[in-house]
Amino acid sequence: MPGDLVRELLVESLAAWRVAGDVEHATDGSIILRANQRSIRVERAPAGSMFRWMVTIDDRKRPAISLVAILRQLREAIDPGYPAKRVRVTVAPLVPP
Amino acid sequence: MTDRTAIPVSVLTGFLGSGKTTVLGHLLRQPEFSRTAVIINEFGEIGLDHELVEASEDSFVELTTGCLCCKVRTDLAETLQDLLRRRDEGSCVRFDRIVIETSGLADPAPILQTLMTDAGLAERLVLGSVATTVDAVNGAGTLEREDVSQKQVAVADRIVLTKLDLAGAAETTLLARLKSLNSGAPLLSADHGRIGSHDLFAAGLYDPATKSIDVEGWLADEDREHSHSSHHAEIEACAIVRERPIPAIALTLFLETLAEHCGADLLRLKGIVNIAENPDQPAVIHGVQHVFHAPAWLQRWPSDDRRSRIVVIGRRIPRRWIEVLLDAIGAEVDDVFPGSSRSWAGR
Repeated sequence: MPGDLVRELLVESLAAWRVAGDVEHATDGSIILRANQRSIRVERAPAGSMFRWMVTIDDRKRPAISLVAILRQLREAIDPGYPAKRVRVTVAPLVPP
Repeated sequence: MTDRTAIPVSVLTGFLGSGKTTVLGHLLRQPEFSRTAVIINEFGEIGLDHELVEASEDSFVELTTGCLCCKVRTDLAETLQDLLRRRDEGSCVRFDRIVIETSGLADPAPILQTLMTDAGLAERLVLGSVATTVDAVNGAGTLEREDVSQKQVAVADRIVLTKLDLAGAAETTLLARLKSLNSGAPLLSADHGRIGSHDLFAAGLYDPATKSIDVEGWLADEDREHSHSSHHAEIEACAIVRERPIPAIALTLFLETLAEHCGADLLRLKGIVNIAENPDQPAVIHGVQHVFHAPAWLQRWPSDDRRSRIVVIGRRIPRRWIEVLLDAIGAEVDDVFPGSSRSWAGR
């Protein structure tokens, strides 16, 4: 998927969370997000990994299975007021029977 | 024998003194509003509003006190269950609709959530429409001062201007404020409470006349390409339109992420979605804050327009974030399930 789209998602997410910060592409293709005195690197997981992304926060590298998981990790790291909660939208079938 | 036909529940809300009870009193005198069960909530230990509403013999009024939105999980659900039980037993009028008049201080969102999520109610009741009264004399000031009045307007399917006989006409500033909060809700006028009942409660997802889902009416007049806001407005409505079908998993992830990150700031979301796996049967989605109703599947598209149309009303939720979120999740689903790329890529 386009790296620009991921970068824009992170930029807009900061705005949505009302957290000041900046997002830029690094020369190695990863994306660096800086906010709340933290620097966070988002990059694609190595080929063959069962995860799609790796997120490095304070030198601790953690896998993320999706963009949704990245957003959750980022917000938990940079938005102290974020009440980490998991929601379940529906238990109904996603497609009609 | 228990009649299992879904009973629509409409909500009449509006700030203190905005004319809800006057409108309700007029409605209940109309023949088409016979066989209506009304739940009136009042803030305070001694209720008066129910004494002011004169219902026909085929209708009746229940009263709850206390702040409905604070106690809604139990009180409203229990009141509705009790009404259904009495209807089934034949110990009250066999009503075919319910109207809830909220207290003027009530946040309507938890009320809508209860109607959508209580398992015991969901199989018997269906959310009708939400009508909000706005006082043409004091409405602009109220909206400026009272957050809850903004939410009452934001979740409305219909907005009813009252006291126009005193104001002469609604001020331009009030009309602009209403439009910025909820451009999709048509503005109606009540003359001393008089208003067409069909006009008022015809905008629900469920159409009592046809006993079917009226999506076109529900989404009617929503601006489909623009967000509506003013520089000082925290509550905005925006419509997201996508030409290409959306994979089911992408829609689910999108809704979950909106709910997770927006919480109470997501006032209302409604839409009709072309699901990639089943493009001939549109899914109707409906959410209030972090609670989403299970999708309703239509048998067919209501018109030739098969685009997905999602209307989001929220507080300080940037439109661009919503758009990028949906597109990024769609693109990732394309990566993981290459077969879906034909349906999503390029929007």
